Amino acid sequence: MSKFVKVAKIGDIPEGSMKGFEVGYDRILVCHTAKGWFALTDECSHDSAPISGGELRGQEVVCPRHGARFNIETGEVAAPPAVVGIDPMEIKIENDEVFVKVE
Amino acid sequence: MSDKINQQNQDLQRLGEDFATKYGFHDPVDYFHKGARGINHEVVEMISRMKNEPRWMADIRHEALDIFLSKPMPDWGSTEILKEIDFDNIYYFMKPIDSQKTSWDDVPEYIKNTFDKLGIPEAEKTFLGGVSAQYESEVVYHSMKEELKKQGIIFLDMDSGLREQPEIMKKYFGSVIPALDNKFAALNTAVWSGGSFIYVPPGIDVKIPLQAYFRINAENMGQFERTLIIADKGARVHYIEGCTAPVYSTDSLHAAVVEVIALEDASIRYTTIQNWSRNIFNLVTKRASAYKNATVEWVDGNLGSRLTMKYPCIQLLGEGARGEILSVAFAGTKQHQDAGAKVIHAAPNTSSRITSKSISKDDGRASYRGLVKVYKNAVNTKTSVECDALLIGEDARSDTYPTMEIDNDEVKIEHEARVSKVAEEQLFYLTSRGLSEDDARLLIVNGFMEPFTKELPLEYAVELNRLIELEMEGSIG
Amino acid sequence: MTTVQKENDAIHTIPDIAPELERGPKWLRNRRYQSRDDFNAMPLPRRGLHFWRYTDPSKYLIDRNAITDTAFDKNRDQIHADLHRQLADGHLSGLVLDLGGREIIIETSESLDKAGVVICRLSEAVETHSELVEKYLYKLVNSATGKFEAMNGALWNDGIFIYVPNGKTIEQPIHLMRESGLANSVQFPRLLTVIGENAEVTLVDEYSGGAPDIDNGVSYGNGAVEIFGLANSRTRYVTVQRHENGMLCYLTHRAQIEAGATMLTIPLAFGSSLSKASYGVTLNGKNSESNMYGLLFGKEHQHFDNHTLHHHAVGETTSNIDFKVVVRDKANSAYTGLIRIDHSAKTCEAYQENRNLLLNRGAKAETIPELEILNEDVRCSHGATVGQIDPEAIFYLKARGIDQSTAVRIIVAGFVASTLDRLPGDLKDRITDYVMQRLEDI
Repeated sequence: MSKFVKVAKIGDIPEGSMKGFEVGYDRILVCHTAKGWFALTDECSHDSAPISGGELRGQEVVCPRHGARFNIETGEVAAPPAVVGIDPMEIKIENDEVFVKVE
Repeated sequence: MSDKINQQNQDLQRLGEDFATKYGFHDPVDYFHKGARGINHEVVEMISRMKNEPRWMADIRHEALDIFLSKPMPDWGSTEILKEIDFDNIYYFMKPIDSQKTSWDDVPEYIKNTFDKLGIPEAEKTFLGGVSAQYESEVVYHSMKEELKKQGIIFLDMDSGLREQPEIMKKYFGSVIPALDNKFAALNTAVWSGGSFIYVPPGIDVKIPLQAYFRINAENMGQFERTLIIADKGARVHYIEGCTAPVYSTDSLHAAVVEVIALEDASIRYTTIQNWSRNIFNLVTKRASAYKNATVEWVDGNLGSRLTMKYPCIQLLGEGARGEILSVAFAGTKQHQDAGAKVIHAAPNTSSRITSKSISKDDGRASYRGLVKVYKNAVNTKTSVECDALLIGEDARSDTYPTMEIDNDEVKIEHEARVSKVAEEQLFYLTSRGLSEDDARLLIVNGFMEPFTKELPLEYAVELNRLIELEMEGSIG
Repeated sequence: MTTVQKENDAIHTIPDIAPELERGPKWLRNRRYQSRDDFNAMPLPRRGLHFWRYTDPSKYLIDRNAITDTAFDKNRDQIHADLHRQLADGHLSGLVLDLGGREIIIETSESLDKAGVVICRLSEAVETHSELVEKYLYKLVNSATGKFEAMNGALWNDGIFIYVPNGKTIEQPIHLMRESGLANSVQFPRLLTVIGENAEVTLVDEYSGGAPDIDNGVSYGNGAVEIFGLANSRTRYVTVQRHENGMLCYLTHRAQIEAGATMLTIPLAFGSSLSKASYGVTLNGKNSESNMYGLLFGKEHQHFDNHTLHHHAVGETTSNIDFKVVVRDKANSAYTGLIRIDHSAKTCEAYQENRNLLLNRGAKAETIPELEILNEDVRCSHGATVGQIDPEAIFYLKARGIDQSTAVRIIVAGFVASTLDRLPGDLKDRITDYVMQRLEDI
């Protein structure tokens, strides 16, 4: 049963930054860039660690542990050591609030 | 049978006597360049400038140095022995001669003698397609058979590779192992020098092996070779490396990075016989990417070093890719072989096999540390992991740390491990046939190692057997 | 559903004035203070490192809003009524209902009393059997085991003490029911058991209750079990973990057996949202033998992280582990099993097997069977497999007119049978039903 869940107010995540959330069983990374808002599973495919402690560089997120990079729009791998992508999640903004679609 | 063993025993004694001259010697060298001890951005800049590198490589080096300095030492594995490494006491760059030679006649006499004693020029004549000989930080001799050159095969030392093939280098350098991967990969990326660069064009089968030989001669030396091997679509190549160093009272560091790329239908075998002296920390990152229907094989033998931490990895990235890792470790007294294997299944219908054999003797410690990871999309994966450990002596230690992470159900994963000593029954059987207990033990050990030795070119198998015999005799200290 | 930003709300330090710290005589209070200090001094384990590779340790920090004082519905569980009947019928020799350590109700059979077996609250035992308790409590599970063991060591409210005198054989099992409170509750169960020389007993330790789901507040459990099997004793210890889906439970079990003793440990796990348990047996006397047969069955989003340890501290000892895992839906299991043979422990045999059955795509299993062997005179092996149900077996059953879901049930029943066969009769039937219920909608 997937549904949109409110995770933050837009003011919580200024442009050029990102933040990790836990909703039920899901770990979610919300990124805010000049191109808009993006959400991904907050888990590096390489070593299962959260990537929210890493760095947002343009449209890529860099994992703090081993430097794997992922495209925040598609979840695809942009740099090793990761070899598979991570799942992007649906995100929407309504009344200055950030909603992410979870199961 | 006992006559044969007696003969072997006589050979053994002789071999034991000449070990010091065969591997343990060192040359008094007048280095072309010997920098200061320790590591900082100036050293990195100096290395890059001496090599006349493009700026992009210098930038990669500096960034990697920052990563090296900021990453903590591993807090797993052999943490106590790792503490012994004194990074400030190491020479990070030593250039033995002014330029690389293509004829042994041009190599200074003492270096040529070194490689003569190691049998390299002889092997080159008889069964190798190309040879690269690295002495300290740089490749001093490099040569490849004309017919291989004509096929478009590129086999260079890594520094020449950067000069002559900057586009390939830019595309693939660090593409399998980024500097952030681990502390020693970062160090290598910052100060790398030497190593092999191989590119095999589409469809070319390199029928005879290419070899590199790595020699550390100086005390407190850091050798950081960097190797990149690319087999284009349908190409095949077998690469062999060997390594030795003299015995000193203080330690040296060997931290290599090896990146291997097998494109569609390609096949790469990478064979290592590591026989560093027991004052070398051998901390190596080796990783391969195998694309559609490609095959990668690591044949990895570890006999030497104080501490080895090395887990050759194969990433199966394309459908039908196959990986095989055969890992052998012999840990004699005061040695810790922390060796293993990793296979990452990231595509459907991929298969892999890991075979690990380890021997711990006296107070030696051999550890198998491995990973098999199967991603959700890698359906119809088959993998088997087999670890066999033999313990010889009351104080010997064996560890097995396999990890299997399985994210989908259409898989067949099998793991087995056994630890045992030389079986009394076997010993009894052999000694009752007139063999001494030592001979019987040697026979059993050779049998135990056979799955590995039979994968080696004959010359190396013979060499390896001699090394094991020496270890069993306890004549290597 | 609520957004959780957990670490901010978690208790990182046990306050000096926690009321539990003042429970018990002076020596016990000192152990509690020490445990508190150890907990406060120890950093949160780093995620990704060995023991915490697959579970986020911050999950087990207690939420600020959690309370240690919840109400329980004693009749909530039909099982307890059934167990009562079994006690009355003489199929059990003792029945204990432990309500989060707040209230512990103990009933024993006449034969048990006659044999001189002691079952009482730990708070009572520190008075009545002070020597035994002081000697054994905290000996196997303490701050040296880990941060969360220190937390239990400081904050356990009350626990259970069982002592079987030398030479006594207790035919029928003693059954412990450990009930957890609802959402936002927290409990620290503790069990100390001493099996006398040449004594024999079967213990069933069943954990249930907890918050029904994670959406409206979770409940926490952090348990410690210490079992001592003295020379030539024979102990069978079964744990059944069937908490509700909103439970985060953590359990550390350690047993130590002396010369000639045997220990059979059967950990069974089905419930909770997040379950991390560590079972360890130290073989501390010649000719002692430990056998462990584990089974877990995860479904939906459940996460299980199990560790087993067989530590051969003395030579001429034998151990054997067979740990089975079934996971379906999006459940995942991580199993790490270590066999350690000390340098002085000559002539040991140790075996370990871990089999994982994945019932569908999306389920995950990690397996890490480890060996640390510090001398040559051993026989040691381990094996692990991960796979789906053999499609040929399904095909074969279907060819005989059996539908898909029945075929799956038959195969899973076969997979778990060799473990469940080792349970006492009444429990075996109940657990078998329980496994089958978990397959109903497959």
